Amino acid sequence: MEASDLALNLDEVALKYPENPLEYFKGKKLCLFKACLEKYFPGVRWGIQDLLEELELDVITSENQTCCSGTFFQRNLITRAQFAAINERNLNEINHIADFLLFSCNGCYNSLLRGREFLKNADVSYKTKELLTQLKGKIKERNYSGKYDILEEPKVKLVHDLDFLYLIRNDVLNTLKFDLKNLKVAVHYGCHYLNLSRDKSSVDGYLRNKTKLEDLVSLFGGTPVDYQEFESCCGWGASQILIHPKEALKITYTKLKSATNVGADFILMPCPTCLYTLSKPEYREKMKKYFGEKLDIPTIHLNELIAMLRGCEEERCITLRRKTPRLDEIFDIITNQ
Amino acid sequence: MEDYSDSNWNWDFYKELIEDVEENKNIVQCISCGKCVGDCPAAKISNFNSRKIIMKVLKGDKSVLKDSDIWWCFLCEKCKRVCPRNNINIPLLIINLRNESFKKGYGPRYNDLRKYVEMAERFLTQGIVLEEPLGESLPESRVKELNEICGFARIKYVFKASKNKTKPNKKNK
Repeated sequence: MEASDLALNLDEVALKYPENPLEYFKGKKLCLFKACLEKYFPGVRWGIQDLLEELELDVITSENQTCCSGTFFQRNLITRAQFAAINERNLNEINHIADFLLFSCNGCYNSLLRGREFLKNADVSYKTKELLTQLKGKIKERNYSGKYDILEEPKVKLVHDLDFLYLIRNDVLNTLKFDLKNLKVAVHYGCHYLNLSRDKSSVDGYLRNKTKLEDLVSLFGGTPVDYQEFESCCGWGASQILIHPKEALKITYTKLKSATNVGADFILMPCPTCLYTLSKPEYREKMKKYFGEKLDIPTIHLNELIAMLRGCEEERCITLRRKTPRLDEIFDIITNQ
Repeated sequence: MEDYSDSNWNWDFYKELIEDVEENKNIVQCISCGKCVGDCPAAKISNFNSRKIIMKVLKGDKSVLKDSDIWWCFLCEKCKRVCPRNNINIPLLIINLRNESFKKGYGPRYNDLRKYVEMAERFLTQGIVLEEPLGESLPESRVKELNEICGFARIKYVFKASKNKTKPNKKNK
C-alpha cells in the first residue's frame, strides 16, 4: 500500500466528472479531520463545514479521532512506529465511517501521509503492527471488525481542503455573496503543502498545481500579488519559534515585510499553524521589539475567507480573531455592498 | 574548495544510523551540491548547513551529535524538494541524529520543555494537545489507547517526569 494511494486522486475525479466534480462527492460521507489549532480559529472548521452543508454534502467529524501527533514526532518524543500507530488508529476510526477525509491543516495532512509512508519500512511496519495488536488485545470495546489492523486498502481517501475547494471551485463560486473587490492578496501555501510530495520520481508532482491559491483569488475577484518571500516558511519551523524565538521571528518578519512591500492587502493561507504564527499579536509585538517595526498586514485562512465571501456572520468566520491586525477592515471591505 | 570524495569516509557512524532508520542509507547519493542550503530557513538564521552535516556523518564525525546545529532545522522539507537526488530525506536524517543525540545524553537545550510536558500530559490524558478543543474531546474510555501506544515512548518519560517534578502549586496538589 503506497501512501500516494491514500490521497484522493484529483485528476481521476476531474476526468470522471469534468463538468461538475461535486457530483463525485454526493451521497458519500466527508469527515473533517479536527486540527488542534482550529481551537484558536473556529472559522477554519466552520467555514468549510457550512459551505459543504450548503452544497448538500454529508459532513461528519469523528469523536474518536486524536491529535495527529506530528508535533510529538517532530520533537523526538515518539518513535516512528508509535507515530504510525497513532495515525493508523485515526485512519482506522475514520475509514469505517467516511469516504473522504478533509484537512484544514498542512501538518495533519502531512502526518497521516507520512505515517503511512513509514509503514513501507519493514521494521517500522512490524513494530506498528505489534503496537496495534497489543492495543486490540486490551480493548474490550469493538464496534467494527478488523479494528486497528493495518489497513490493506483503506476505503477513505485523504484530501487537503485547498485541493478539494479548488476541485469544486465553480460550485464554491456559486455560493458567494461577495467578491474580493480587487483586493491585492499575497498567498502563502506553507512548507508542508508546498514541499509535499511522496514520489520524487514524478517531477510533475512537485512542479504543477502550485497555483491553486492564486487561481482561487483571481476567481473570487481579487488580485494575487507576487512577492519575494512567497515560498518562505512562516517561521514556526517545528517549534523553532519557541526554541529560538528571535531568529525564527526574523523569518516571520521577513515574510510579512515582503508581502507588505508589494502592497498586499492581506496574506491568504491554507494552514492554521502558519496562520497562528503569522497572525499572533504577541509575535507581532516581539517583532517590533526585535526589528523596530510593527507590521499590521492581516492574515486569513482560506476557509475563513470563503465564509466571509459567503456572507457568514463575523462571529462565524473570524470569531476569536479580534486582536488580529486590521482583519475587521478586510471583513468590512469584502462585505460592503 | 573542500575535497569531496568517498576516500575518507568512515562507515561506522553511518551504519549505526541506518540501523535505526534504514532510509538514511541514501545519503551516500549526496553530491554535495549545496542546493539544500540555498533556500533553507535555518541556514538563513544560524550555522545550520545540511550539506556539511551529511559530509560529517559520512566521515564518521560524531561531533555532529554534540553540535547545536542539528537543533536549528525547521523540518520544512524544502531541502528534500530541491535535492537533485531521488531519495535523500534530510529532515528524516536530522530527526535520526536528534534521537542519537538524546540517547547519548547531549540533547537540546529547549527553553520550552515545560510547554511540551503540558502538551504531552494533555495528549495522554485527553487525546489532544491544546486544552478545550473545538467540538468534542476524545471519550475518556478511549484515552487509554494512547497510553497503550505510547507506553514506552519518550513522551511517557516526559509525562512521568512532569508528575515527579510537580510543585505543590500545580493543579493536582
